[in-house]
Order: sequence, then C-alpha cells, then structure tokens
Amino acid sequence: MAPKDERPDTPERFTVSRRAFLKTTGISSLAATVVGVADADAQTPGARAVGPGEVPVQLLVNGKRLDLKIEPRVTLLDAIRTRADMTGNKRVCDRGTCGACTMIVDGRTVYSCSTLAIEVQGKQIRTVEGLTRGATLHPMQQAFCDADGLMCGFCTPGFIMASVALFEKHPQATVEQVKKGLDGNICRCGTFTRILEANMKVRGVARA
Amino acid sequence: MQGRGNQTPPPKAPDKYLWPDKPAVIGTSVKRLDGPDKVAGRAKFSYDISRPGMIYGKILRSPHAHARIVAIDLSAAEQAPGVKAALVWKQPGAEVMFQGDEVAALAADTEEHAWDAMRLIKVDYEALPHLASVDQAMAADAPAVFTGGNTKPGPVQESGDIDAGFKQAAHVVDATYSTHVVTHVCLETHGCVCEWDGDKLTAWVSTQAAHGTAQGFAQGLQIPQTNVRVITQYMGGGFGSKFGPDTQGLICAKLAQQAKVPVKLMLDRKEEHLATGNRPSAIAHIKAGVTADGKLIAYDAQSWGTGGAGATSNFPLPYIYVFPNRRRTHQDVYINAGQQRAMRAPGHPQGCFLTEILMDELADRVKMDPVEFRIKNLPDRAPNAMWGEYFTRGAKAFGWDKRHATGDSTPGPIKTGFGCAANQWGGGGRGSKAHCDINADGTVVMKCGTQDLGTGTRTIVAMVTAETLGLPVSAVTPEIGDTMYPFSGGSGGSTTAASVTPAIRVTAFKALDALCAKVGPALGVDAATLVASAGRIHVKGTPSKGLAWKDACKLLGTEPISVDGDWMDGLSSTGTSGVQFTEAEVDIETGIVRLKRVLTVQDCGLIVDKLTTESQVYGGIVGSINFALYEDRILDRVTGQMVNPNMEWYLIAGMSDVPQIDIILNNMPERGVIGVGEPPTVSTAAAIANAVRNATGVTMRSLPLTPAKVLDALEQEKAGGTL
Repeated sequence: MAPKDERPDTPERFTVSRRAFLKTTGISSLAATVVGVADADAQTPGARAVGPGEVPVQLLVNGKRLDLKIEPRVTLLDAIRTRADMTGNKRVCDRGTCGACTMIVDGRTVYSCSTLAIEVQGKQIRTVEGLTRGATLHPMQQAFCDADGLMCGFCTPGFIMASVALFEKHPQATVEQVKKGLDGNICRCGTFTRILEANMKVRGVARA
Repeated sequence: MQGRGNQTPPPKAPDKYLWPDKPAVIGTSVKRLDGPDKVAGRAKFSYDISRPGMIYGKILRSPHAHARIVAIDLSAAEQAPGVKAALVWKQPGAEVMFQGDEVAALAADTEEHAWDAMRLIKVDYEALPHLASVDQAMAADAPAVFTGGNTKPGPVQESGDIDAGFKQAAHVVDATYSTHVVTHVCLETHGCVCEWDGDKLTAWVSTQAAHGTAQGFAQGLQIPQTNVRVITQYMGGGFGSKFGPDTQGLICAKLAQQAKVPVKLMLDRKEEHLATGNRPSAIAHIKAGVTADGKLIAYDAQSWGTGGAGATSNFPLPYIYVFPNRRRTHQDVYINAGQQRAMRAPGHPQGCFLTEILMDELADRVKMDPVEFRIKNLPDRAPNAMWGEYFTRGAKAFGWDKRHATGDSTPGPIKTGFGCAANQWGGGGRGSKAHCDINADGTVVMKCGTQDLGTGTRTIVAMVTAETLGLPVSAVTPEIGDTMYPFSGGSGGSTTAASVTPAIRVTAFKALDALCAKVGPALGVDAATLVASAGRIHVKGTPSKGLAWKDACKLLGTEPISVDGDWMDGLSSTGTSGVQFTEAEVDIETGIVRLKRVLTVQDCGLIVDKLTTESQVYGGIVGSINFALYEDRILDRVTGQMVNPNMEWYLIAGMSDVPQIDIILNNMPERGVIGVGEPPTVSTAAAIANAVRNATGVTMRSLPLTPAKVLDALEQEKAGGTL
C-alpha cells in the first residue's frame, strides 16, 4: 500500500511515467514494509507480530464490510478474489507491473497483487464490481463498451479502475495525461487506441 | 489451424443463402455483446471459476535446462497442511529437457498451502549437458543433446536457375538477418478448473478450442469423449498457444480425481513464459540480386532458427515478392528451452522481416523508391494479392511523397524516417455446425461450440443470425463456448469467422424456412415467397403483406423450431493481403526508437462487424510493435535459464508507446468471410525497421530494435557501414 501522498496534485506532479507509477504503488509498498519493520523495533514498542496462521481481517470493500480469516501473507487481490468470490480484478503478472489487479484504496490506485489485505484494514477499498449501480454501468464502463476499449477483457477491469481514479482526480485530463496515467496498465490484445478514446469520451462527464 | 475438412466436397450454399447485397446488420459497427459483462467484472473466465469444495493445484517444474530425474520424494509434501492430492508426472530415470519441464504436482485447500507444500517435494537431479543458444547447438564441438542430432535439415526449395540469375544481377546484397524468440504472454495464463461427477469430467478451460480440448482430455485420460464437457465462456488471450488441455490440464484432472473435489490449476506468469509456447527465432544468410532496371532476379538463402527442445522453426521465405531464380534451405536447431507453438500468424512475421529489410536495401542499390520497387516485383494481381493497389492507396494517404532519401540529413539527434512492408495470410475456415431454436414467444437462440478469444465471435454469431432473420441483434441470444453446443474447430489461423458465420447463416435460414412454412398457410401465400426483414415475415416486395416477428412465432404453438445446420461452401474464401506504413523517430544519442504513426490498408473479405474488425487490426499492429521494439525472451547463455520470466523485464508496450494508427479497410463482400486476426501483425515490425533505416541511414537486420542494438548499428556504420 502506498503511503499516503501529501503532495498537491498539480498537473506537473500528475504526469507520472509508468515506472514512477510503479514506484508509488508496488515498489514503495515493499519499501514501506521493510522500513516499517525496522521502525517497529525502534519506535513502536506496542507493535505485535501476527500470523503465520489465519487471523481475522476486516475489509471495507465497495462500502460493505467483509470479515475474513486469512493468513497475513494473503494479498488484497487474493483475499477479494478467492475468499469473497469477487473476481472482476485479475491476477496477471502478480508482481505489480501490469495493472490488471488495480483497485482504488482511499482514493488512490494500488496494485492489489502487491498489497497485503491486512495492510488496508479500515481503508475504503473499491473494486470494479463497485462501479455499477444496479444494472447501470459507470460512465467509464459504458465508454469502454461504446469505444470497444476491450477485446479479451482480462486487462479491462484494471484499466477501468485506473481510468476512473484518474478522472475522479482530474476530470479534465488531457490525452497526454491519460496516456501517462494509464501507463501502469498493460493490454496484450492491443486495444490502447480505443481505451484512450473511451477515456476521452468520459472527459468532463459527471458521474450519473 | 484449419477446421476439419470432409473427404467429399461440402455442399454449395443455395443462392438465397448468399450474403445480402444490402445488409441491415452485417458490415455495421456493433458493440461486442459481452462488453457489459467484461467491464463490470461479471464475466467469469476460467481463472475466475469457483466450485464448491474447490482446491488449488500447482506444478513443480525443472529448475535445470537439461537433467535426468534420479529420485522424487512426495512424502513430506503429502503430509503438509491442507494437501489433498499429489502425483509424480515424470518418473525417475526420465529426462527434463528445459527449465520449466513438468516434474510433479500437488493440490491443497489454499494456494498458500500449495506453495508451502511444493517446497517440500524432494527431487534429485543429475544435471546433463545443455544447449542454451542456437550458436551453442550449432557449434562443431556441441554435446549431442537431442536424439538424432541438435539440428535437423529441411528440404531444399529451388526454382529457376540460380547461377544464371546472379549473372544477370547488376547489384547483389549479401547479409545476415534475424528475428528473436518472443512468448505469447496471454494475460489469462493457461489452466483450468476440473470437476468430476463419477466418471464424467467437466473442465472450465482457457482454450482456443473447446471441442479440441475435450478430445485432448479424452485421449490423455483414456476416457470416452462423451464423458468430457469443456466450457470456455470467456478467455483471456491465446494468440495460438491454447489448443488443448496441455500437460497442466491432464495434471489438473488427475489431481481432481485423486482429491475427489474440484481443482483449479492456473499457471503463474513464470510458468507461462517457460512452458506454454513461443514464436521461434529466425536467422537467414541471404544473397540476393537485382537487375539494373530494378527487377528481382536471384535469391539464395540458408536459414535456421530454434523452436526450443525438439520443435520446428520454419517460416515462409522469401516473402511475397517474386524472385524468378531462387534457392532456400532451412534447418531446425534444437536448444534446451520450452517448445514453440503457433503464435499469431506463425512464420509470417519472421519471413516478412527477413525479406522486407532486404527489399529496402535492394531498392537503394537501384536508386528506386521502396514503394515503386515493391510494386515492380509483386506477384500478379488477384483478389488475394492486392498489394499493388494498396501500396499506391496507402502511400497517398500516408504522405509517402514526403519521404526523404535514406538518412535524415536534418541537424540534431532526432532523426525521422518512413518505412513500409506487406503482409499476406490464408484465413478461411470450414466445418462448423450450429443449432437454432425459435420459440413461440419470439425468442431466438443460436448455439455453436466455438469460442470467443476477444475477437468478437459471440457478437458476429448474433449479427449473422439477426441479419438472416430480419431482427435486431438484441433479439438474438448467441450461445457459444461449450462442448454441449454443436462442433466448431479451434480458433487459429484466422479461421473462426469464416468457419462459424456460414454455419450460422445456413442454420438461421433453415430455421427461417421452418417458420415460413407456418406463416405461409396462415397468410394464404406460398411460403417460398416469404422473406424476413425489419422484424417482419412478409411477401417479398410487399412488407404490408405479412406478420410481425412475434405474431409469426405465435403460430408455433407448443412446438418450437429447433434445427441444425452445417457450414456450406460459397459464403467464405481464403487469402488476404495488406500493406503498412510507419513513421519513426530515432534518437541517435540514446538509440531509442519512438513511433509516430502507423497506417495500414488491409482486406479480410466481407467485413462482418466493422468495430471489432478494426479492433483486431489495432491489436495486430500493437503486437508487431512489441515484436519490433520491446519483447524478447532472454536466456542465460550459461545456465539456459530465462532471465526475464515476468512482465517488468519482459517488456510490452504501454499506452504512451502506441502511436497514431490509421486503418483503411478494403471490404470485399464478393469474396465472403475470410478473417483478420493475424495479417495485421505480420508486417509492422519490418516497416518499423525500414523507417529506422530511412531515419538513420543504418540498416537494422536484427530484431528487437533495442536502444543498444540501434547504437551498435550506428557505430558499425561509422566504422565502415552497414550498407
């Protein structure tokens, strides 16, 4: 889980590269974990070790409480996919590169394959399933359908979550900003042109 | 992969079955019907299937490139928490032939427990000599790793008179060209969920061939095929690598049998790179001659390549262009790496690259424009050989006249260039069957045991049914991806559309005829005079004399229409052609190549769904951009281990890497349906390399065009030239 970033969201800051995006999610989450352990000894006398067996973990997913008993090593992605049968977000690279597992945690995108479930207790977790309202698709989901921004569909939920997060922060994102913002996601079928089209259809459209 | 042909010629479709002159649905842009399920996360891929009591399977694979298994001990793993089944796949004494070769497997209640238990399987290996590269395998002192030799020569292909040809040549190019090994990187890895009910197996498989996979399970498990059901409602990419249960499918079925509960066994990303196929490398030493007036005259090539441990590596060469006097030999080279599988247009990207780079070199020798030079050396124009017109049309649309001579002479480190290349493919297909139900409430179901790889098959099944029955697409329920539905072959070779759509057309017509047989008497007209259009069954030419669809269906009472139909000849054909143009920027200080534009002119016969056809063309071009600039399976030359079996060092384009892509489709309804999945991915890489050549003046004869390779080539040019 990325440490909460306090920097203002200026356009300059927004134009992150794929590698920088990776840094603010996957890699820095590793770094944060390592630092956290060191800090625990030095600064947090009350810290306690949990596991390796199953422990209760409570997640807030799409506004609903999910009570799980899982080992601390279980990732956010696996907890939601295999323990809650919400399989919209996908496991593809399983190491924070391809973005198919992208979820939104407290308003920021995370690679859920590289985030431990136990780390994000108490945070607002959003998955692709949380975007639809009844039978009505989120405008971004609808735009992907309209622009044919998908083929096999396996990268699609991750792309949609990344796109939604981007436009929630930057409703007027430009083509260049969308390209940079989605560089943390990979589509093997090669639908990028139309994913970009889908994003630009949603530009400035308020959530229905 | 072709559908199953019959020994006797298939029946010809009657005239009234032929595609309509003025279609209402076909050729329009229809949004893919499963889009909403996919974007909402509701679509259940094999990876997403969950069954009651399901556990998780894992495969232990060889860490060695080549070794003999001395002993395997499963006992500790079998006692580990949560483990329900374990098996030895390769018995002691057997050899593993590549890193990733399957050795043993187990299944446990959670994936975490399965991973833990895997570490407790003890395998003793006796390491054996291995071959980690083509050069090692071809060396005079190479160890004899493969029975029958490390290399296997193919037949000599020869026509004309080589010596006489070279005597007429005013210029000769003599050089070596190569392409590299890439892997399919399907985002949904290979794998399945297997569930037994007594002696009956249901398998949810990520496959390009539901029926073929059922047959594979039956053969591999030695059970009747009628006891196997394969379901593939959604699948996350195959690109030629998913045509059967594979070893992991058979292992999964055996683990499920042993554990007596359903087992899910999906490979991880590393296994996917190592063991589920790749595009073979291609290398050729080519000597080619051209006459003073720019006619290709002579060609002599020795080619080789590796498809891994014991697999073939051949490809078409020379590609498309006509050399009246030519000779070519090829040999397969075996190394200790995972075996190749068909990968999107197998052989063609290699043959295209090895030919098209040479074409630009030869054009420069005779000081001709590359497009003009290509047009001069094409085979005769034919419906499946339209390159001449496409080059002319594409060049105009692209602004080819603004191309500078080889080597961008403008100052500064950023050099810009144009390149072009052509593609061809077979496509076509046959052998599909379908079943149509029309119910008294007006609902329509069309069933076909094909599968949708993301190409839009489900949508075109509905479109063709709707077209034939005069209904909107939304009125048809397409059912595919299940061996409970009538046979359809594997989705490979761009054959699905041409195999499936005729069967759907024929079956829908038979259903319509059955409905008209009820409507005719009710209207007091001859059923043969009735047609379906705009939601009505009516007398041809007199829409008012008829019934609305729902009223017509009410005549069915308690007996719905339920008919089967087969593929018929006359609604499809084979053979496509296309050309592509690219504009690239090369930073000669860093060696980084960035694409600015790609333009393609492509045909595929009758376009069924314009929207998804275009998407396939976009996708093919992006695949070829990856091939040209980014992806590369890198094996350690000492250990034979893949050093980048992941998605961060195995590079794949992201959105910022994808340029503007312009698509010009040439619709050819008179040819029937052909297919478009593969042709667009053949030629972009070659066009990119030619654009780099045009930008820098340096010939790039080897893929991928990494910054290091571009810089190396620039250095060579300074030292004496690549020309």
